[in-house]
Amino acid sequence: MLFLTKIYQPSDYLPILIQFGLAVGFIVITMIATHALGPKRHSKVKDETWECGIEPVGDARTPISVKYFLIAILFVLFDVEVIFLYPWAVNFKHLGWFGFFEMITYLAFMLIGFYYIVKRNVLKWE
Amino acid sequence: MSDVIANIPVNYYVFFATALFCIGVVGVLTRRNSLIVFMSVEIMLNAVNVLFVAFSSYKSDPAGQVFVFFIMAVAAAEVAVGLAIIVMIYRNLRTVDTGALNHLKW
Amino acid sequence: MPPPTKNCPVAVKNNHVQNIKPASFLDLRVLFFILQKAIIILSKLLAFSKKSYLCKLRNIFHQKMLSLILLSVFGITNLFLGFLRQRNIVLFASMAFTFITLVVSWLDMNGTLITFDASLNGGMMANDKLSTSFAFVMLLTALLIFPLSTHYLKDKEAQPAEYYAILMFSLVGALMMVSYKNLIMLFVGVEILSISMYVLTGSDKHNVKSNEAALKYFLMGSFATGILLFGMALLYGAVGAFTTEAIQTYVSANKVVDSPMAFLGFSMMLIGILFKISAAPFHFWTPDVYEGAPSLFTAFMSTIVKTAGIGATLKFVTLFGFIPLGASWYPAWYKGVAIVVILTLAIGNITAVYQSSFKRMLAYSGISHAGYLLMAVLALSPVSSVKAILFYTLAYSVATVAAFGGLMAVAGNKRKEEYAYFNGLGKTNPFLALSITISMLSLAGIPLTAGFFGKLFVFLSVFERGLYFLVVVAVLMAAVGVYYYFRVIIAMYMREGNNEPVQVSSGTIATLLIANILTIALGIAPDLWLNWFM
Repeated sequence: MLFLTKIYQPSDYLPILIQFGLAVGFIVITMIATHALGPKRHSKVKDETWECGIEPVGDARTPISVKYFLIAILFVLFDVEVIFLYPWAVNFKHLGWFGFFEMITYLAFMLIGFYYIVKRNVLKWE
Repeated sequence: MSDVIANIPVNYYVFFATALFCIGVVGVLTRRNSLIVFMSVEIMLNAVNVLFVAFSSYKSDPAGQVFVFFIMAVAAAEVAVGLAIIVMIYRNLRTVDTGALNHLKW
Repeated sequence: MPPPTKNCPVAVKNNHVQNIKPASFLDLRVLFFILQKAIIILSKLLAFSKKSYLCKLRNIFHQKMLSLILLSVFGITNLFLGFLRQRNIVLFASMAFTFITLVVSWLDMNGTLITFDASLNGGMMANDKLSTSFAFVMLLTALLIFPLSTHYLKDKEAQPAEYYAILMFSLVGALMMVSYKNLIMLFVGVEILSISMYVLTGSDKHNVKSNEAALKYFLMGSFATGILLFGMALLYGAVGAFTTEAIQTYVSANKVVDSPMAFLGFSMMLIGILFKISAAPFHFWTPDVYEGAPSLFTAFMSTIVKTAGIGATLKFVTLFGFIPLGASWYPAWYKGVAIVVILTLAIGNITAVYQSSFKRMLAYSGISHAGYLLMAVLALSPVSSVKAILFYTLAYSVATVAAFGGLMAVAGNKRKEEYAYFNGLGKTNPFLALSITISMLSLAGIPLTAGFFGKLFVFLSVFERGLYFLVVVAVLMAAVGVYYYFRVIIAMYMREGNNEPVQVSSGTIATLLIANILTIALGIAPDLWLNWFM
């Protein structure tokens, strides 16, 4: 248990304050500068969202295929489950073969899940 | 610099985590968009994670960090299920506002 | 000097290519080295598989939860059985799997097959008598619920293999909740159970009610999880460990006033768990979710989830109020829980009277039964209250499953569950009417049914603790309960219906028969169950 060995004075937080001030100042100055320095020319083409390519049509919030959603969800799941590999990787030597087989078991379960997904044709785009 | 970080008393972490947790609770109780309610729940979980890591580090006991791994993995599963439910609601009702949930009443 | 400078880069290029050409991967020495390593690894692997790894594997099976491993593997098997053309196989397979798990956990408890060795355990789970008794109740209930699901096998939209698999996974969570020895396991168990239930609540995808119930359950449930976790974090900050032993040691060594953080953590954790068992101030989600979810999963929720939650509460609360009570924190929290009990009983019973939907009435009656169970938890006497809770959960689960089975048969595909559907059932289908009557009598606590002895044991345990006021309130509320349970019976026998014959599937008949026989057997000879398992 670490105890407080030093009493912090308000002045100790000065660097943080300076940093904060600098960050805010930079944003404010650049925003003012771009508005003041930049020439302003308005035309139909200039005000388009995209200056080149296909003409934008309709609302941006159109429903997209649920396939994207499924892929994203599966990515989140498989991505985060890797988290259990990290503690094993750190203690790789110490855990030895027991840890290795445990990990094989874990990954086998993940693979079974993956196989199930493939079998259900979730990843198939037609 | 690392010395300074190590000397931050654990109380500060508790206050920080509690503040974050309260932000989450208030978000859950006041917001009406179910996605934002869900995000507030995630803030609550992350406040808990901060608290666990802080205690774990100050007590030099790895169990707290192990718990954080479990919370993150479970939260991912919750995200998967929760977002699926919200998408399902959206496809049927065309809204994710909790005010639209009035089909069940006594 | 006029050398052809243009040649120079070419020469360099050639050199470069020549240097790369002998592929180092095919070097014999490297190959040999790899082979050597592989042989060493293989030999080590063999040696380990003979000795220590197998030994450790056996220890896993010894120390904890063969039933958990079986259920998980069976659940996955079930998922893949769903790819077969024959849908009936899935139902029989999942029933067989659950039965195997039931037998294993029963043998487990009697100590013939697997012995529990605390020294080998990592301190994560304990396979003690209490947890196996709860496991028995839950697995038996699951076995009774499965045959009610035959209508899913004919439904093209439904995916029975996934439903059964998720039910089995959720049973894993339920078993973890009643056998944890470490708060991590409590959390993981709660989450496995809850997330499975979120999915199943919303499984009727095109029904707006089911969707709404799923979203409400999900948002409320994850909010409760957040509170539970924050409580765990505070408790961890005070105690410094997650094991139940450490918490118990801490509680006996420290007074409440000296450890506000631990007490706050305890309170928040308790609130989180009470959310899950739908005790009174935290019950808002229950009626909506129970009504919106498909009836099969409502039956599952109101029996197994409740049993698991009560088991977890009992184990958790015992840490903070173990014997001797004087030295523990019991005086600090028992009043709060008593208020929760009174609120739960009052709100559950009185609101149930005003319901027009049978399913909503069952939801509120579930809340009130959570109140009776919490009362026994509050009594916290090592023998009589554990006995009361085990008996009550079995009696309540069996009767509730029968009630939902009857409801599903009567309401059929109609997504409304009015009392009017029961009108005249006594004439059109006497068997169904009789079995619903028996389950209602048991839920009301009329003598000669299991529910009577359940309430009796609960009241006795609370009496033992000396909380007389609670007993008075509970008896009054039980009298209120009789009113709304009898409404169904009156509708069935006294009212005129449209005389439409009600079809009952053979699976439902089997479940109702077994449930009613159990209810009456336990009502006549309660010692049957108690002597076996206590």
